Amino acid sequence: MPRTTTVDCSGCPPFRALTFDALGLIKVVEARDKQSGVPRVVERWGEPDSSNCVSAVSITHRKADPLLAVARKNGRVEVMNPVNGDLQAAMLNSNVTDVRSEENAIVGLHLFAKKNPELASRSCTLLTCTAKGDASVKSFEVTNSSSESVSLNSSTWNVCAGGNISCCKVDESEKYAVFGGKGVEVNFWDLESSTKIWNAKSPPKNSLGIFTPTWFTCATFLSKDDHRKFVAGTNNHQVRLYDISAQRRPVISFDFRETPIKAVAEDIDGYSIYVGNGSGDLASVDIRTGKLLGCFTGKCSGSIRSIVRHPELPIIASCGLDAYLRIWDIKTRQLLSAVFLKQHLMHAVFDYNFIIEENQLTNEEQANKDNVMLGEQLDALPLKRKKSESKEATLDTNDTKKKSKKTKDHKRSKEDCLGEKITRDEVRKSKSKKKSKSKLEIPDEGL
Amino acid sequence: MGGKRKKSNEEGGESSLTDDGGGAKSNKKTKMEVLPSMIKNKEKRSAVHAKIKQQKKLEKRKKAKARDAAEKRALELGEEPPEKKVPHTIENTREADETVCKPDDEELFAGNDCDEFSAILKLQQTPKILITTCRFNSTRGPAFISNLLSVIPNSHYYKRGTYDLKKIVEYAKNKDFTSIIVVHTNRREPDALLIIGLPDGPTAHFKLSKLRLRKDIKGHGNPTSHKPELVLNNFTTRLGHRIGRLIQSLFPQDPEFKGRRVVTFHNQRDFIFFRHHRYIFETKEVKKTDSKGNKTKDSKEENAPQTKTIARLQECGPRFTLKLISLQHGTFDSKGGEYEWVHKPEMDTSRRRFFL
Repeated sequence: MPRTTTVDCSGCPPFRALTFDALGLIKVVEARDKQSGVPRVVERWGEPDSSNCVSAVSITHRKADPLLAVARKNGRVEVMNPVNGDLQAAMLNSNVTDVRSEENAIVGLHLFAKKNPELASRSCTLLTCTAKGDASVKSFEVTNSSSESVSLNSSTWNVCAGGNISCCKVDESEKYAVFGGKGVEVNFWDLESSTKIWNAKSPPKNSLGIFTPTWFTCATFLSKDDHRKFVAGTNNHQVRLYDISAQRRPVISFDFRETPIKAVAEDIDGYSIYVGNGSGDLASVDIRTGKLLGCFTGKCSGSIRSIVRHPELPIIASCGLDAYLRIWDIKTRQLLSAVFLKQHLMHAVFDYNFIIEENQLTNEEQANKDNVMLGEQLDALPLKRKKSESKEATLDTNDTKKKSKKTKDHKRSKEDCLGEKITRDEVRKSKSKKKSKSKLEIPDEGL
Repeated sequence: MGGKRKKSNEEGGESSLTDDGGGAKSNKKTKMEVLPSMIKNKEKRSAVHAKIKQQKKLEKRKKAKARDAAEKRALELGEEPPEKKVPHTIENTREADETVCKPDDEELFAGNDCDEFSAILKLQQTPKILITTCRFNSTRGPAFISNLLSVIPNSHYYKRGTYDLKKIVEYAKNKDFTSIIVVHTNRREPDALLIIGLPDGPTAHFKLSKLRLRKDIKGHGNPTSHKPELVLNNFTTRLGHRIGRLIQSLFPQDPEFKGRRVVTFHNQRDFIFFRHHRYIFETKEVKKTDSKGNKTKDSKEENAPQTKTIARLQECGPRFTLKLISLQHGTFDSKGGEYEWVHKPEMDTSRRRFFL
């Protein structure tokens, strides 16, 4: 019997996520089914071009007039509508002479959710930070055209003297920001007055007198209401917790695996964080103690570039160079589903405002969908399991399967050697039949 | 004692198929089937096993005969011959993989157009290869490198010395090299190959095994300095395409067909087999009692003209097998590197799952 693996994921709740890849494409992934959906790509925006490679992304989650800002490798910043992908405004990094060089690539981008009261209603404010360390806050009019918008007012300052900035994060209150990078210790800035408040101190030399050069790759604030604590990941596989009210050196620092930390994300509970590294390992850590809570094990083989936590549902999404968007359950740390998106993914964001109406799917539609599912057989198969069914129920089904397997084994052993191959085939068929039957049954129960 | 003897008698009755005694039948029903491995006496066991084997062989022969007869009859009657059965292999029962590239995938071509190798593959740049070794290098290592130098045109060997690989990468970038090949030897035996694309191409780490140098190959040919033709087989998935393009970028894209040299990278079950051949087309007088080697061809061309062209191959060597261990984003960086793909043990869930 050929041993085949099925993707054993139990489907995921409805969500909508946007992914940004190395060719500058933006793909919208949606899972629509109420109980357990198979996420799939519903839309693709943009034309493939390597100069359009997305370097930073920011989204505002307000209900009315949501906006999405995307920074490209060629120095262009685009503001779009995350619902339909309409370009609302575009801006070229104007003060830069040579946009192509690596130094001037935008590495940090933040779209302010709060509106500036002085400005007109249809405007937005952006914080951009280049690799060289030029940070600027600009406001400009949303014009619904692809022509370059004129910034209304802007302030620019430099966050580092030397080295390269590689991460930039703004806290929830949007007053403070953290910058860090290669050769740059993490800085804490007040955005309103654009002054540096706090600067980290590099950790001491180790027992052998070896100093590891500073190289921060990612940072995130720990909780929503506290801007003083933040977590940073370094290139020499260290995760550090800083508390600006306590000391300049990290409060907690621990190693994670062997390859550089590439992404950190905070949980909404305020103490656990998710860490992803350059060889595709993803784990959750309790940052209060620095203890590993558990790893997200799957067949993830490429560097993780971005991790995002859904604000309501207990899921996180990770994406990276292996071109998969993966959805994980944070409780069980199981893979819920994976979507293959063909390109190296740079970023992913959740669209929080995506809600499926209850009566959107009529019975007919559901039936149609099931038919479609049948065609897809194995991939969709495990995903059809209902989420509302308790775990016990799933266990039961497993048991029955085992039993049926046993009986089949008996049968098989009774039959003689020659017929074995054929019977095996039959068994396989019958199994698949059974599965398809059960698939048919489940939605009936649901209705 | 008596019981034992009885058992052995029964077995004897069973093994001799001619007398289908009632006792043997009942035995079958109760014990289902006596597998040879269940018999403890070695002599008996081997006897039963031999018998079963013989039977299988006979049956197989019978089947083959019947099949041949059916085919022959179909030929005589002018009907369609019965369909040939395709054997199940691991490759053709491969697990379904969504990353396998489809030929009509425009996004794939768009992605290929702007990857690191496109400059070379579009003939805008000629490949220039730097070959170096690990720190300690002896016996088969240098011999392998001299073989490689004759295979890859425009390749240059540089002594490793005590330089860091990162420094070498920098140096090669400045000197307009397009790739670096590092041959790693362990215990005087080449065991790994590192291919680094420059200036920012990926780094592929291969395990190298089954190396046979040119001089070890019996009746080998000596390659000319013409640019070789390149054959890349079975690189199907997204990752496979990328590896294929990486290998492709090592060789010039304008082969000189006059040289009649072929370099083959054949992927089978994630192992990449390297072969290097010379070929020749020969026109030959065909006699009906020609050499035994191409008997089948003769029988087909009985009524054909007396001359025909045949292709003959001569292996030039070396011969080796590669297996991908990791593909790293960017140039070589063992500590701070990001991987596009690493082989992890948890990915080996089935022997029918392949990545290239």
